[in-house]
Amino acid sequence: MENIEKISVINKEKLNGEFYLQSLLEEALGLRLITDADIERIQYECLELLANRVERYNGDHSSSIRAEAAQSIMTSNLYTIGISLKSYSSADDAVKALQETKAAELYANGRKRIDTMLKTAKALHSKVLNNMVDTGNVFYNETVAGGIKGFFKIYDPDFEAHEIHITADYPLCNPIKSLAGIEFIQKYLESILYENAFCRNFSSDDIHHLLCGHDEAYQELLLNIYEPVLTAAIGCVVAGEDVRRLNLTETSLLFLNSLLKGKSKDQIYTVFLKAFDELKSIFPITGNLQEQYIKTSLRMITSKVIVAMELQTLDKLFLIASYPENKPKLYFSFGDKMDNKSYREIVEEIMQCRHLSDKITIIKEHIRSLADMEDILLDAELSAHEVLAVLRELDQPEIAALSKKYPFKSDLEAIDLKEQERILSKCLYDFIASLPEEQQAGLSKAIDMLDISF
Amino acid sequence: MGFDIALFDQSLVQKQAVNEIIKCNDFTADYGLALTTAQVLELVETRGRALNANGRIEFGGGVIDKVIKEFCDSPYISTYNYEQTLHELIEMFYYYKNETLDLISDDDLIKFMKTAFDGTCQGSLELLAGRELDRFARNLRGGYVCSFSEDDNYEDEGDSDGKY
Repeated sequence: MENIEKISVINKEKLNGEFYLQSLLEEALGLRLITDADIERIQYECLELLANRVERYNGDHSSSIRAEAAQSIMTSNLYTIGISLKSYSSADDAVKALQETKAAELYANGRKRIDTMLKTAKALHSKVLNNMVDTGNVFYNETVAGGIKGFFKIYDPDFEAHEIHITADYPLCNPIKSLAGIEFIQKYLESILYENAFCRNFSSDDIHHLLCGHDEAYQELLLNIYEPVLTAAIGCVVAGEDVRRLNLTETSLLFLNSLLKGKSKDQIYTVFLKAFDELKSIFPITGNLQEQYIKTSLRMITSKVIVAMELQTLDKLFLIASYPENKPKLYFSFGDKMDNKSYREIVEEIMQCRHLSDKITIIKEHIRSLADMEDILLDAELSAHEVLAVLRELDQPEIAALSKKYPFKSDLEAIDLKEQERILSKCLYDFIASLPEEQQAGLSKAIDMLDISF
Repeated sequence: MGFDIALFDQSLVQKQAVNEIIKCNDFTADYGLALTTAQVLELVETRGRALNANGRIEFGGGVIDKVIKEFCDSPYISTYNYEQTLHELIEMFYYYKNETLDLISDDDLIKFMKTAFDGTCQGSLELLAGRELDRFARNLRGGYVCSFSEDDNYEDEGDSDGKY
């Protein structure tokens, strides 16, 4: 009996959360709950309210305001009135309130609600900060800690209540639709709180290895952490693997593939819900709202599973943990450098040579270590064409070692590099690109495994 | 649902502005200056056009009465050019309100206009708009002191080395 909702003439689904007042008026007018005269009165009251707010905005400073600034204040006012209207139990009651209450009064109520929401959001944020997932993902750390703090610093509920100013880069598993301002931030923090609470059931090492299964450089990627963790956990329960370690294997993927093949969306969702019930008995899922959040996530994951089954890419969804630290490593030393005097003489000799063949002969005759070769490539003022010719004389391990030290960078990334370093990095890239595909793959593997020392 | 600020009914605001300007006649009578109701209406129209052209809106009576009270004692304003000067000052005011990025208050901008009009411009509205206010806005935007002038600097340099 708790969930009985009052029947409303206005369909709640049709209302826009961000532009609530406008959508409410449109719906109400369409259903003849209000008249054109009501609309005109509300519009006029809103403009009167705007005039008051602009006066407050300008102070004694100015009597006029730029039109775009005034429009922004108007949007903020309408948003605040919308917040006030959302507090009514049904959309019909909100329309009634619009008819009976002055816009200024609704605005004042909304403003009070925003203050309360701001306090709630701050409390939520400190709770989130105490329950952060221990991860190196920069987007997660920057947004959840720094970004939200920035929001609280610059949020202006008086004149820009509808703005959030920050970009909230870290994506949520269940995206927030049609909310703005403090409402968006509050919902965002609630979602992060549920996601964190779920992820904290697993060790940070296991989450790290699971995400390495997606990409070893996941720390720099814009990805949601909770989604692969939940997917893997559900996969583990369904496949009977160790859910505490998120330990999915190739065999369990094959099992999942055969189990889910040919099933409809609803059937797969039922399988996942059943797995989730089992998961609840293993991990504490606190509160109805968190449970609801996870169920919504599962519905989204189900849709992704359907697509992955069709594309045969289930392994991209149910990640298998990867352990980069266990991969074999190749150690390569650049060797000792010759004494400075001899080196100077060789560089001068090379720079005085007219022909490329003479330069290469000198290099072959005197250069004995890769450390010296690297210096020559950088100091002897060789053109790109000459650098390429020298690179052709080197063995593949030497090319791999140099490529590891001078990876190819875009113009923007290479802005801090010296001119010769930029030429060397570009030549190495061009040289590798000119090799047969097989050799390129071998080199790329070697570069990954290399651990260079100087 | 339209909540366009352009829909704002300007008639009330205009009425308020007209009343405020007509009241100024008592104040300007000592200087032999007065505006008829028709002239006042034209001034209010000019204000509307200037606001529109500069992408601004105004909810109160506006600044026309402030301009009148500031400029009425100017030696360069008489009955013959009073109305025309006011039209141009109003247009200038809103244009430079934008050009100064709203960094200066209405009162300070009007005071600067008056000082420059009576001083270096010697009653020339062209010099006021094209030189003094332009330099003033540039200095404000650039963060210089309002009286800063590149020309003065060049002159100073010239004096010091004696080449000019």
